[in-house]
Amino acid sequence: MLKRIITIFVIVLFVISVVSCGQAKKESGIKIAMVTDVGGVNDQSFNQSAWEGLKKAEKEFAISVDYLESNQDADYAPNMETLLDAGNNLIWGIGFKMGDTIKEKALENPEQNYAIIDYAYGEETPANLVGVVFKEQEPSFLVGYIAGRMTKTNKVGFVGGMKFPLIEKFEYGFKAGVKLANPDVEIFAQYADSFTDAAKGKAIANQMYKNDADIVYHAAGGVGDGVIEAAKEQDKFAIGVDRDQNSLAPEHVITSAMKRVDNAIFNVAALLVKGEFPGGTTVSYGLKEGGVGIAPTSYKLVPAEILEEVEELKAKVISGEIVVPSTPDTFAEWMK
Amino acid sequence: MIDTILSNIALIIGTTLMYSTPLIYTSLGGVLSENSGVINIGLEGMMIIGAFAGAAIGYFVGDPWIAFIGAGIVGGLFGLLHAFACVTFGANQVVSGIAINFLGAGIALFLSRMLFEGATMTKSIALDNKMPRPLNGVFHDGSFLNIIFNNQYATVYLAFIMVFLIWFFMYKTKYGLRLRSVGEHPTAADTLGINVIKIRYLAVIMSGVFSGFGGAAMSLAIVSNFRPTLVSGHGFIALAAMIFGKWKPQGALLACLLFGGAQGLAVFLGQFDFEISSQLISMLPYVITIVVLIGFVGKSAAPSADGIPYEREQKN
Amino acid sequence: MKIKFKELRKSIYIFATEKTIGFTLISIFLGLVVGAIFLVAAGFNPFQAYWIMLIGIFSKPSYISYTIIRATPLILTGLSIAFAFKTGLFNIGAEGQFIIGSVAATATGYFLHLPLLIHIPVVIISAVIAAGVWGGIAGYFKAKFGVHEVISTIMLNWIALYFQNFLIYTKGFQKPGGETSYSIQPTANMMILKTWKQSEAGREWLLQHPFWKDLLRTPMNWGFIIAILMAILVWFVLNKTALGYRLRAVGFNKFAAEYGGINVNKNIIISMFIAGALAGLAGALQVVGVSHKVTLIAAMEGYGFDGIAVALIANSNALGCILAGLLFGALKYGGTKIQMFPVKAPSEVISIMIGSIVFFISIPKLIKVILSRKNKKGGTK
Repeated sequence: MLKRIITIFVIVLFVISVVSCGQAKKESGIKIAMVTDVGGVNDQSFNQSAWEGLKKAEKEFAISVDYLESNQDADYAPNMETLLDAGNNLIWGIGFKMGDTIKEKALENPEQNYAIIDYAYGEETPANLVGVVFKEQEPSFLVGYIAGRMTKTNKVGFVGGMKFPLIEKFEYGFKAGVKLANPDVEIFAQYADSFTDAAKGKAIANQMYKNDADIVYHAAGGVGDGVIEAAKEQDKFAIGVDRDQNSLAPEHVITSAMKRVDNAIFNVAALLVKGEFPGGTTVSYGLKEGGVGIAPTSYKLVPAEILEEVEELKAKVISGEIVVPSTPDTFAEWMK
Repeated sequence: MIDTILSNIALIIGTTLMYSTPLIYTSLGGVLSENSGVINIGLEGMMIIGAFAGAAIGYFVGDPWIAFIGAGIVGGLFGLLHAFACVTFGANQVVSGIAINFLGAGIALFLSRMLFEGATMTKSIALDNKMPRPLNGVFHDGSFLNIIFNNQYATVYLAFIMVFLIWFFMYKTKYGLRLRSVGEHPTAADTLGINVIKIRYLAVIMSGVFSGFGGAAMSLAIVSNFRPTLVSGHGFIALAAMIFGKWKPQGALLACLLFGGAQGLAVFLGQFDFEISSQLISMLPYVITIVVLIGFVGKSAAPSADGIPYEREQKN
Repeated sequence: MKIKFKELRKSIYIFATEKTIGFTLISIFLGLVVGAIFLVAAGFNPFQAYWIMLIGIFSKPSYISYTIIRATPLILTGLSIAFAFKTGLFNIGAEGQFIIGSVAATATGYFLHLPLLIHIPVVIISAVIAAGVWGGIAGYFKAKFGVHEVISTIMLNWIALYFQNFLIYTKGFQKPGGETSYSIQPTANMMILKTWKQSEAGREWLLQHPFWKDLLRTPMNWGFIIAILMAILVWFVLNKTALGYRLRAVGFNKFAAEYGGINVNKNIIISMFIAGALAGLAGALQVVGVSHKVTLIAAMEGYGFDGIAVALIANSNALGCILAGLLFGALKYGGTKIQMFPVKAPSEVISIMIGSIVFFISIPKLIKVILSRKNKKGGTK
């Protein structure tokens, strides 16, 4: 009995292995791969966006792309090296958490190209490394303006995941936008101290809605699921982040502050293919570069005239007439 | 002024109910299993697979009750696995439970990738296809009761009904007596003609069913999708709540409500700009739990045969 | 053929049932089989996947080094849990004790300025004491108030997590503009040749010498040696000392121990202190040897929970924890590689595999039954 089972099992495995060994290998020369942060490749956020950018580049330039997911912080360095050994031409680190690791690796392997999302090294960028940062405050500013114009109760809310400078860029950009649209609007801001606890996000959003806010913006990963859910239940509005989150609640997510990680990744891939890899520099993606923006689905719930105003505002930010605040200090200055 | 205070209290109560519900189901699962004499550390894993099953079935079928029951069945399958190891094969119950935790998480994500185009996150369910909200719009807008109950899902009320049913079952029916006797003195129960093996099997399977409900109460009510981090530790909190509640359904209920209430308080306090760090406020629910345990609850004792595999004397 | 198979089965049966190691190996094999079934079901080639894992773990010195580095904290958290198990306590709190150990190590590593040879021991000892106290709290609550250690350690895990984040936010400790603490002073570093390999000259030299570059590119450090020494020490304390005897007596039968004149409460506190200290050592070694700092954490990292599985695979045997930790480290490290070309399988298979291994380990009887089935064809279960 046991013997038979084992025999059958081995045969099945063998057949399958023969069948699946015939996988086609892509012959194109250039290989690009990325290491995700602990969110994983399908996080409905910047990791996924990054992967979509790579997939697009794969199609466009006939290159090979691949990814490795990280389950804990300790995975970053080994994952980088696995990709190095796999002979990639460019290795991406997705997320600021890999900042120190990737710099170390870039210095160790001067022949290998690296790039990172959400980290800037300024003067100290090694020649084989590109830092890509986004001006998250700019799309936050635009969605803040929309919120400020659309609120009927003159109260809006912001739910952050954890408080550190990157998330604060969202907060203060948003606040500036709201105050520009309407200085009388009151803004509730609360941090969940988590990027995972959806129930807490929902409780916080419920509290804001109960206190009469009618639009809540989140920059909180999985906590944001709860925020959007609360908007759905109470028939209030929410604003998504990183990607177009309208599909999560088509009638309640009025707009999203998008961070086009996909565009950035695609652009760098294009440069690499052309042989113009911008090593040693920090590339900053704002509205001007098309690296951030508001969701294309915004027209569904946001009145056209407000969107027109947003376009004007966008032009002002692009021209440099408006510099959006991104920290408590610059925001305080802005309020004057 | 009084209105504001009242509405804030209502909000905290509402958050408490929302937060506690998944914990209540899951800790009831723990109560059933452990009262039959089988330790169940695997609640977390069963909850994860239940949350996934609920979200996936809810998305594909579109009916919340089918999804909820489906989540229970899938949880029950993991209960069966645990029972198979612990009851039939006299496994070390802690070891098997830890295995269930790894398997539950692993299989949930694996299946998600198979069913949702490689994503470990399921697609969102429309509000109409989520659990119903029985008291939605019943009370006057903005009133005390409205703030508490307006957006509570059927799962919340069902959880309280379940606590009552389990309590009634355990303490007022002969089957409950059998369950408890199996957990306290399996040998004596056996001599009285009670089928220890069968009762333990049923209890452990039901514990999986309830954990599955607990997971689905998150993915079908609190939010409308599954993601790998959705459950993150709630199963262990439910385990703690069951022990806190001295292995009794009513005790577990109170422990879950205490924890949920502390979370509600933390959310409430979090809206103010205090001098103290929000990290310390987030710590509050866990600190309160320990303080209450020390101050008011005291010693707790598990059913005496909890954790001991039962082996029948060989009859020749 | 038939006879040979029978003999083989018989020898497997003896090996699997009479020896714990043999039985563990069979469980590992069955875990791999279950993983393979899932891979096949999802349309992947399990042989290819396992082959990629195997060469991903063993084919380069740096891979082996990474496996060891991944295993080191797991060996220690495994020891922590195994130690508590031996004294009848279930330490779910290794996760939190690990956090306390790592944050204490970072704080002492950054704020204190001490000479090279003194700094590392000071950092490690203070982290060990801090985490020991953290574990001891749970022991004290149990001894004094009868609070079940499972509840208190679960709560203490979360408290530790928020406590670490709280400390990172304090001025003077938080690296400005970041979500991490400052890095520890170079004198507290235990990574081998860290300063040299990050210097200009070191990099130049390594580029010329690929073998050494490969070996030194990992954060190789002395942690593994310390972990092995600790495993031996724990084994010694438990089996060869009076303290170990008392602790095991408490674990074996609390009432008998009390009757025999052992102070049960005191031993519970001591046991939880030591368990906490071991998990804290894991955190401290991770900081001085690998990460050099602590980061804001949004969710549990899993060192403590994985440690539970390590302790169980090792059957709570201190020396077994070394092997179980290595197995775990290898699966975790090698397992990431199956995500890539050419396999592209979901890495969750690793969790399923680990779960199955632990599951089979929980049921020695099942394997006995399967292996002895042929003898009793009459139809007992």
